[in-house]
Amino acid sequence: MTDATQTPQSTPKTRFAKFWDSDFAWSFRHSPVAVIASLVVVVLVLAAIFAPLIAPYNPFDPATLNLMNGFTPPGTPNAFTQETFLLGTDDQGRDVFSTILYGLRISLFVGTAAVLLAMIIGVILGLVAAYFGGWIETFIMRVADVQLTFPAILVAMLIFGIAKGVTPPEYRNEMAIYVLIIAIALSDWVQFARVVRGAALVEKNKEYVQAARLIGRGSFPIMFRHILPNVLSPVLVIATISLALAIIAEATLSFLGVGAPPTQPSLGTLIRIGQGFLFSGEWWILFFPACTLLALALSVNLLGDWLRDALNPKLR
Amino acid sequence: MTLRSSAIGLALLIAGAAQAEEFKWASTTDPQTMDPHAVNSAPVLGFLNNVYEGLVRRGKDMRVEPALAVSWEPIGDGDGWRFNLREGVTFHDGSEFNAQDVLFSYERASGEAADTRSWFAPVSAVNVVDDYTVDFMMTAPNPLFPSSIANWMIMDQGWAEANEAAVPDKETGNFATLNANGTGAFQVTAREPGLRTVLEPFDGWWDTAEHNISSAEFTPIQNPATAVAALLSGDVGMINPVPIQDVSRLQGSDDVEVIQGIEARVIMLGFNHEADALKYTDDAGKPNPFQDARVRQAIAQAVNVDAILATIMRGNAEAASQLVSPAMSGYSRAHADRPTYDVEAAKALLAEAGYGDGFSFGLKCPNDRYLNDEAVCQAVVSMLAQIGITAELDAMPVRNYWPELREDNYDMYLLGWSPGTFDAEHPVRFLVATPNEEKKLGSWNFGGFSNARVDELLPMIQSELDADKRQAMLDEVTGIIQDEHVYVPMYVQPLVWGTRSNVDLTQRPDNFFLLRWVTIN
Amino acid sequence: MFAYIVRRMFQSVIVLLVVGLVAFSMFRFVGDPIDNMLGQERTQADIDRLRTELGLDQPFVVQYAKFLRGAVQGNFGVSYRQGRPVSTIIAERAPATLELAFVSGFLAITMGIALGVFTAIRRQGIAANVIMTVSLIGVSLPTFLIGILLIYVFSVELDLLPSFGRGETVMIGNWSTGFLTASGLKALILPAITLGLYQMTLIMRLVRSEMLEVLRADYVRFARARGLSDRVINFRHALKNTLVPVITITGLQLGSIIAFAIITETVFQWPGVGLLFINAIQFVDIPVMAAYLMLISVMFVTINLIVDLLYYAIDPRLRVDARAT
Repeated sequence: MTDATQTPQSTPKTRFAKFWDSDFAWSFRHSPVAVIASLVVVVLVLAAIFAPLIAPYNPFDPATLNLMNGFTPPGTPNAFTQETFLLGTDDQGRDVFSTILYGLRISLFVGTAAVLLAMIIGVILGLVAAYFGGWIETFIMRVADVQLTFPAILVAMLIFGIAKGVTPPEYRNEMAIYVLIIAIALSDWVQFARVVRGAALVEKNKEYVQAARLIGRGSFPIMFRHILPNVLSPVLVIATISLALAIIAEATLSFLGVGAPPTQPSLGTLIRIGQGFLFSGEWWILFFPACTLLALALSVNLLGDWLRDALNPKLR
Repeated sequence: MTLRSSAIGLALLIAGAAQAEEFKWASTTDPQTMDPHAVNSAPVLGFLNNVYEGLVRRGKDMRVEPALAVSWEPIGDGDGWRFNLREGVTFHDGSEFNAQDVLFSYERASGEAADTRSWFAPVSAVNVVDDYTVDFMMTAPNPLFPSSIANWMIMDQGWAEANEAAVPDKETGNFATLNANGTGAFQVTAREPGLRTVLEPFDGWWDTAEHNISSAEFTPIQNPATAVAALLSGDVGMINPVPIQDVSRLQGSDDVEVIQGIEARVIMLGFNHEADALKYTDDAGKPNPFQDARVRQAIAQAVNVDAILATIMRGNAEAASQLVSPAMSGYSRAHADRPTYDVEAAKALLAEAGYGDGFSFGLKCPNDRYLNDEAVCQAVVSMLAQIGITAELDAMPVRNYWPELREDNYDMYLLGWSPGTFDAEHPVRFLVATPNEEKKLGSWNFGGFSNARVDELLPMIQSELDADKRQAMLDEVTGIIQDEHVYVPMYVQPLVWGTRSNVDLTQRPDNFFLLRWVTIN
Repeated sequence: MFAYIVRRMFQSVIVLLVVGLVAFSMFRFVGDPIDNMLGQERTQADIDRLRTELGLDQPFVVQYAKFLRGAVQGNFGVSYRQGRPVSTIIAERAPATLELAFVSGFLAITMGIALGVFTAIRRQGIAANVIMTVSLIGVSLPTFLIGILLIYVFSVELDLLPSFGRGETVMIGNWSTGFLTASGLKALILPAITLGLYQMTLIMRLVRSEMLEVLRADYVRFARARGLSDRVINFRHALKNTLVPVITITGLQLGSIIAFAIITETVFQWPGVGLLFINAIQFVDIPVMAAYLMLISVMFVTINLIVDLLYYAIDPRLRVDARAT
């Protein structure tokens, strides 16, 4: 930033300065909602990355837990152990604040990885379908139909079941998180594929692609070097909104009993556990994880919203 | 176990002015069939006890009392039992009850297709003496037989045969799956499986009605939070169970009351006794430490049951020292102490067994079977971590759980056991006896524990007529189980029901809810 | 055109067959039905006998073939849990789900379009921005949590609405309806909101962005230049042109409302096919799971087919495309 403001005369402009002056950045700077939302996301992501440094306890280490600390209200000393916890403790005596930080890590990891995977699968299949057409396209889009047929939650449940069945027993617990990622990704790739195919079908017939073909460039370079960059903005918008959806899907899977293991809870698992205490007065076990999830998903959704408007040339 | 003696309700009854009331109640599971011989499970038998009756029944205190039989006496020297039937009893459809129905129900409930077959394993023959006398002949002396058939319900032969339901059909169902025709206090007037079942009082019931219900509707509600909301808002008059954590909230409300008791079910940890090697975690393939009784004792001493009861169970459960609760017959008072919680002693035991540096293993746990089962397992994991052993928890729905246990996919597991006969012999037969398919022994002894003395004592216990001698043998078996730490019994699961304040009812330790003891004020 | 339709339908049938095959191969990982069908005192012999009787010892391809043979004749087998024909059970449960889906779909469409138009016209207004943000809260929390929170507020704390079930229903022929009783209508409110919230947000956003684009289109500018009132422009011209993509998306969304009903029905104990399906999973009731999946597949594939045919009819370029491939 200093670069851009202190040396305005220097030619050529740095890449960052160019970006800062772009329409895109201008629209960002003038949208308070986008600025606040991205701040929230940045704070939450940093908190998740540096959780081991910030969190006062390690809730994933069972040896440090004392069951008698269970159900301590926020900021009040526990009746037995006299220990105090900022946001209270859950039923296992885990510090809610630390658990949220660690849970955020898992939720963000699962969400990001699932969306990336879905994006990779969806973009490749969408491009291939659009570019080659014929039976390849028919096959891919019918597979997408099959996929759409199954409710996302159901796809995830079935994949979870299969993975549990085929992984050797001793690795199952470590696998749970990755299975979750694959399950969510496989229930999510279709919309990437459909959008990319739709956009690519339009691009495919444009002059620049015809030209590239005429000069004898191969299929894959054309697809990835020429078509892909031009269909990226809808992909970006979908990816953002999918991230919020994936994090929530993980929570829903938890509710149905196929989420992250309870000894290493994600935000979704924490909410599933917490909702059992809604009527009993231990509101903090549900409230704080739910607020964190809401803050995260809402911010990501708001960013996605803004991105959609900002990247839509017709709205400028 | 009457938990709220209902003086007002009784006064109303005596005055004969009790207002007939509609009543609704909810529980997590729908009885999957109306056929009393098709499925031997608590939700089915508990529900059908309102509709059908057996020769004997259990009273409010679980004591066996006459129902369709007015009396019974042993034949000869343990050759069998003679039941004298009640005269003038009619089924809901008006047909008469007699000895033929008993014989028919015996054949129906003990046949290949019945799930209640095991109850009749000791029976060699059933003879109809006259219209109101039936003899049950035994293969060996069986003092407990009359009380073991309290849930065996009598069906009308004519009705069953006319409706082509003479044999229970689990797979495709038949008329008796959806309809019922018993002699009990209530008859089924509407049945929509999974949605609602409506019962209405049977005018021709032989016994005097204590309830004031005009119609009763049952709805299954799976989500515990929804059930609590339904009770709080008055949509239903009774729910079973109340989630443990909501007990104090409900107790604080003027509109609802919580009724608590101790269930017959003991929650315990089990081990893989047979496997030579561990199956899970990085230590998979290493020798199985749980074959060493000292390691099992270390586990018993490392689990702080009192802490589990104080926090997760919120003071609503009792610690268990053996495989049955003190309320069961045959409970061993000589072995009422459980291993003390002592981390240092547990560590010392581990060191003595050669595992001073600890080890890691897989713990299997259901997450929808027992009250707070997953939370309890999590607590066990952190308690075991204190003595240096790492348990990797794998919690799953019960539909995946039993197959895992059957296939021996565990190092340690959680199990709850409710003795169907309310007697200490029951868990020995199913959980401790050396598995033997032919003799139907040890069918839930997944870990394959085997002890010659236990196997020798079990048949003797089963046929002993003298109560003191029988108890002495049960004491010996309990002693062996405790010394060997075959299982680590933790606590007796609590029964927690919630009612609206104007509902009076009786809670039995078998978790059966009987409408004939309900009064609405 | 005819050849295209035939080919497209042929593909749809293959899709259905694949769905069935995939589903069947997955069932054995869901769990084992045997334990739920037998009591505590069962022996290994009982287990083996029941497994043989149900045909579960056969390879899944054989089981699938058996299922297909029945399904073609409209016979989906008998539920393991209820011991009744699956087709009867589904026919009993379908009205509950369809009524719920109808009401929440109706709510989602009317509210979604109204709010979408409003936020598009008042793009910079405070009210529009508040609506945009608040509507996102609805999609930023898991559905089950929203349902439980609604129950907590409206039935426990305020005691206004029932916490579960359909209330009283009236039978019209074979159709049980909750529309004709006060308790039935009251019972619909919370589940319909829970289920419709997500779709409403989606439709609202779609209408808004389509409207924004249309409002900038040349013909709208001309209309404005001609001095037509805002009202006429907004509703006669802009909204009308917005509706085509909205209807397409809504059509596709109707299917997912029924699929999403699984969660809502579980939370509210709503006696529809979604709850039936969740119960079937818990019980490993394979005939019910298979029938449900096949029905959902038929529904989605049909919707897909109709949408594709509509596109084909509307967009001449695709016709060329279809001939080329």
